[in-house]
Amino acid sequence: MDRKTMSSELLNSDSCNLHNASSDSLGSDSMSSSLTSKVGNENVEPAEAVPTVRPDDPPLLPGEKVQGVAREVTYVCPYSGPARGVLSVTNYKLHFRSLDRDTPYVIEVPLGVVNRVEKVGGQLSRGENSYGIEIFCKDMRNLKFGHKQENHSRRNVFEKLQQYAFPLSHKLPLFAFEYTERFPENGWNVYEPIAELKRMGVPNDMWKITKINENYTICDSYPPIWAVPSQVTEEDLRQVVQFRSRGRAPVLSWIHPESQATITRASQPLVGLGAKRSCEDEGYIQLIIEANAQSHKLFIMDARPSANAIANKAKGGGYEPEDTYQNAELIFLDIHNIHAMRESLRKLKELCFPNIDESKWLSGIESTYWLKYIKCILAGACRIVDKVENHKTSVLVHCSDGWDRTSQLTALAMLMLDPYYRTLKGFEVLIEKEWLSFGHKFHLRIGHGSDNHSDADRSPIFLQFIDCVWQVTQMFPNAFEFNEFFLINIIDHMYSCRFGTFLFNSDRERTNEGVKQKTVSLWSYLNSSIDLYRNPLYHPQPHVLEPIASMRYIQLWKGYYCRWNPSMRPQDPIYQRTRELLVLKEQLEKNQEDCRKELRSRISRSIGSPSRLVASPKH
Amino acid sequence: MNFIMSDTKTNNSFKSYIGLHDTNLSAHDISNDESFSEILLPKLLPGEMVVAEAHSVLLFTPVSDKKNGKLGVLVVTNFKLSFITAEEEQNTYYISYQRNMLLGPNDVSLSNVDVLYQISSKKRKLTPGSSVSDQVKGIFVLCKDMRALTFSFKLSPPGHGRKLTNALLHHGFPKQHHLLFPFEYTVPYYPGNHQVTMFRTAVDWEKELTRTASVGWRISTVNQNFRLSESSPQWLVVCSSILDKQLREAAPHFNGGRLPQWCWSSHSGAALVRMADVVSASDRIKDRKSLHYKVRMQENILLETVRKSHPRLTQPVVIELTKDMPSLRHIQVSFCKLRDLCVADNEKHFWEQDSQFYSSLESTRWLHYVGNCLLKAVNAASNLAKDITVVLQESDGRDISCVIASLTQIIMDPYFRTINGFQSLVQKEWVSMGHPFCIRLGHIYKSNTQQSPVWLLFLDCVWQLLQQYPLEFEFNQIYLTTLWDSSLIPIFETFIFDSEKERSEASSVSPVILRSVWDFGEQLPERDIASFSNPLYRESPKHLEVKSGVPCLHLWSQCYFRFLPILEIKGGGKPQVDLAIRELLLPPGSSVMSVESKQQIGSFYPFTHWNTRNSVNQNSLLLSTLSLNTTDDSQSIISFSCD
Repeated sequence: MDRKTMSSELLNSDSCNLHNASSDSLGSDSMSSSLTSKVGNENVEPAEAVPTVRPDDPPLLPGEKVQGVAREVTYVCPYSGPARGVLSVTNYKLHFRSLDRDTPYVIEVPLGVVNRVEKVGGQLSRGENSYGIEIFCKDMRNLKFGHKQENHSRRNVFEKLQQYAFPLSHKLPLFAFEYTERFPENGWNVYEPIAELKRMGVPNDMWKITKINENYTICDSYPPIWAVPSQVTEEDLRQVVQFRSRGRAPVLSWIHPESQATITRASQPLVGLGAKRSCEDEGYIQLIIEANAQSHKLFIMDARPSANAIANKAKGGGYEPEDTYQNAELIFLDIHNIHAMRESLRKLKELCFPNIDESKWLSGIESTYWLKYIKCILAGACRIVDKVENHKTSVLVHCSDGWDRTSQLTALAMLMLDPYYRTLKGFEVLIEKEWLSFGHKFHLRIGHGSDNHSDADRSPIFLQFIDCVWQVTQMFPNAFEFNEFFLINIIDHMYSCRFGTFLFNSDRERTNEGVKQKTVSLWSYLNSSIDLYRNPLYHPQPHVLEPIASMRYIQLWKGYYCRWNPSMRPQDPIYQRTRELLVLKEQLEKNQEDCRKELRSRISRSIGSPSRLVASPKH
Repeated sequence: MNFIMSDTKTNNSFKSYIGLHDTNLSAHDISNDESFSEILLPKLLPGEMVVAEAHSVLLFTPVSDKKNGKLGVLVVTNFKLSFITAEEEQNTYYISYQRNMLLGPNDVSLSNVDVLYQISSKKRKLTPGSSVSDQVKGIFVLCKDMRALTFSFKLSPPGHGRKLTNALLHHGFPKQHHLLFPFEYTVPYYPGNHQVTMFRTAVDWEKELTRTASVGWRISTVNQNFRLSESSPQWLVVCSSILDKQLREAAPHFNGGRLPQWCWSSHSGAALVRMADVVSASDRIKDRKSLHYKVRMQENILLETVRKSHPRLTQPVVIELTKDMPSLRHIQVSFCKLRDLCVADNEKHFWEQDSQFYSSLESTRWLHYVGNCLLKAVNAASNLAKDITVVLQESDGRDISCVIASLTQIIMDPYFRTINGFQSLVQKEWVSMGHPFCIRLGHIYKSNTQQSPVWLLFLDCVWQLLQQYPLEFEFNQIYLTTLWDSSLIPIFETFIFDSEKERSEASSVSPVILRSVWDFGEQLPERDIASFSNPLYRESPKHLEVKSGVPCLHLWSQCYFRFLPILEIKGGGKPQVDLAIRELLLPPGSSVMSVESKQQIGSFYPFTHWNTRNSVNQNSLLLSTLSLNTTDDSQSIISFSCD
């Protein structure tokens, strides 16, 4: 492994070393590359898979092809100054390699993270590097390239960038459908809905599994398999579906193994201005209450601010009035909508990239509201956990449609309640279940492959969830089997479009498009080198986590939002050192085990002698 | 215990001793009190005496809207303010609390008391001399360690509250040094065999010169018996090229007679030097110009000798610490604002603070000042690394100089990142160089005080280094927090004097035992001392590259938030990392503690206050194993494998 490229922090500001390009998240994270170097990269060098490789071609993934190359390009790094080199565009990524530095300086950006591409300057622009291309990314950075002001030197690369960064706008396939790499594990098998329900003890006396939505006929954004109260009839369920926005009826997310208190999720009831009622929906909620013998009450957590919930009545939506839902208590969690979150992240990017105003850093963070929103979501999840765990009372969560804030809340609450979701596999299951199968609109929220960068449906809802998870991992450093790098990988590949996992808006769409058959799952990739993502401090803890949703603890995730800035890059020597210790410990344990075996075999050899009575090993 | 509360004689003698005008303070009232049936006695140290006590006092849980609390006896002694509650409850505390032998978890030393308020019809601040209301319903005690204690006398017998408040007001703010507790604390002291260099003898300085392989510097006896400078050490390490006569001539031109004093040398021979500013001429306007010329000349002569002490005669760099650094006042104001953020009256107040926490934290400037100090030290260190001698100059050279000189050496020299090294460093740069601990920590009350927690600012800087370099320090944050706490326990000579001169006088004139803080056995059991060690520590010779910008700094939550139970993460926080690593270091199969015990450990461990869990199983918490004393187990493995 070439470690030289890693040694110089400054040079390395935006890139990683060449060798790791295929194994780290986007070939750009310092932690990833240092990890890879330690553990060794088991993946085949992709460049070797493509025989017709030219010397300055970038390393390619299976299925990746170079589409355009521009020479004598200057990358204007905001931290280490301009670097001259070659810029290539493939159907997956943008690749820049410097030629004027001792240690080659490489930048790789999967085109999926590109939000928009703009030409800067014209033929007559003056000043160094004033003519070129600027790329605005979804992952908190912008890149600027300077081209020679002659022969339309940027034209080809610009066009290819447009095409392959926004393939759907140009009638091209997403890269995931062309990517052909094989992994030892098939990530599409990670989540089996029935197996996961069985793990929670469902079906049981109170809860049954229904295939009422088998062909997505009842609700097109829900999965085919639901767990519902066992008493409910199919007819009633069909009526309930009618009374919930987009047919998203209350179904089971999680059940407490001891108290049987549940978390169910839904969309808003279609109450409207006329205060419409549905006796089936009311009866159904009562069944959910009755399914928990420990409590005669249900908390309905409406994620929205109450004003928004009321305003939704005008659009036919609303919330459950307490007089008609008699044993339910409604709580508004005051989480703002997708537009507020998008705006907040935009401000955060302005604050973090490229340069930071140190003197106003803290008040600057506050003014973006990003952490305030994180706190609000965490506080909401904590309230759910408190009701379920400490009061043994079931909770129904919804917002308007039940696919944004609701997913954040149920997934976080489940993560705090159930240690299984804090394991690597369990966390993958959690995402598959609460986010993907329940129809969080990834395609719409991220804007995969589309050049419509100002689309009002885009919003960093899933990123916010991962941020919340990170906050909890900071408060409970040994409760999670996975590390920060795992989380960063998930977000990076949510944007990258290399894997099929986060494509499309619902289970139904993914099934119709044959995603499982035609693309690789992100979990195939991650699980094939799972050691990279292990938290060496992990110690399984059976108890419920109760994080503190206070700004005194919620911090900006610099390892993600500020990672492009070399001066902000956090070091994590504890992580490295603990890994080393862990390896030592494992060796020691192995030695000990060998000794035991040796001892046992000696004992068995001396069998028949009177020492037999004494020699029974006590461990 | 020697002194029980109903000892009339004690109280009488105390009256005259402190000059209480309230002659009603006697044991009579107390012994007649029938309302409190339980007899709860304060644990007293030898030499400690009860001054006043109030029965049936309520101590409220912080941020509980005065809805939760404990009932007990509140006692003022000549050493502490002690709240005594049912024994049983105390035991559960001790599980997650450092077992301090001088102070229990509900005790605060009188030196720790910063501001006292009486609660009658409204909250009013009390200062020595102000009168305590007859109607006093309770008191609010704001401590230097960011603890805020609210006591209510609602259930107390009439008169108890007022007497106690008066006693606290008189004893909590002593005006003279000899009223401090060490002058009463008679327990014999046997200095432990800690390997701290105290820098009280020429040999100690000699050793340090040898350790750093310094040339060009010599030890001068010119300040013997503090003739030249009252705040400097008796042994001055000065340039070899300068004569004692010249030193005597130059001294009056420097504030406090503080001449350029050697601190440390790099391997290449660049030195770190501290000196005071030259005397300003403002008070002698008459011959201002000529004087100014004269002092500047003296300064130049001395700086020239500093240059000559460099093996390659390189020109030194003078780093002025008066400029763009926080003043003592700034630091104190910043600290008070920071404390406001760590104290909340009620839950509503707490969450209001929370919603603006980031901007409020910014406006305290605390992290900004921490960053300033780190940046100065980074500058000094980078010069030293470039083989350039650095002279730190500050008006009196006794405050920020201590911070910067220490930090620079920690950055440059791995020895100072060991426990012994760090302690020797504090002896060298703080104790011997005369940081006025007594004034800065406010052990003595003065109306226009120069109280300023420079020491805490330094500990915070070191804590930041620990965050940035978690493998490079032999000690951990428990150690640093304990050091801060220790500085507020007026027992240790380290922290109750302003200079070495005062220390030596105190031990000769009025016999006081000079008890060093470095003998942690004086206050803590072995297992707690063992918990100071950083399990990840490994020796490494490298210079630290320190980040000093506010975005790279953190708030020291263990030290500042630990008295807010609402902020304790149960089963989480840094102690879990510590435990996990200690576990890794144990032989396979053994563990530090059971899983159930681990989840009882909160993020403020071992400074958990107000532990609300009552189901703690004491036996499961074998804290002694924290000491990593695992030789037995590992031995058994070895013998096993050799079988």
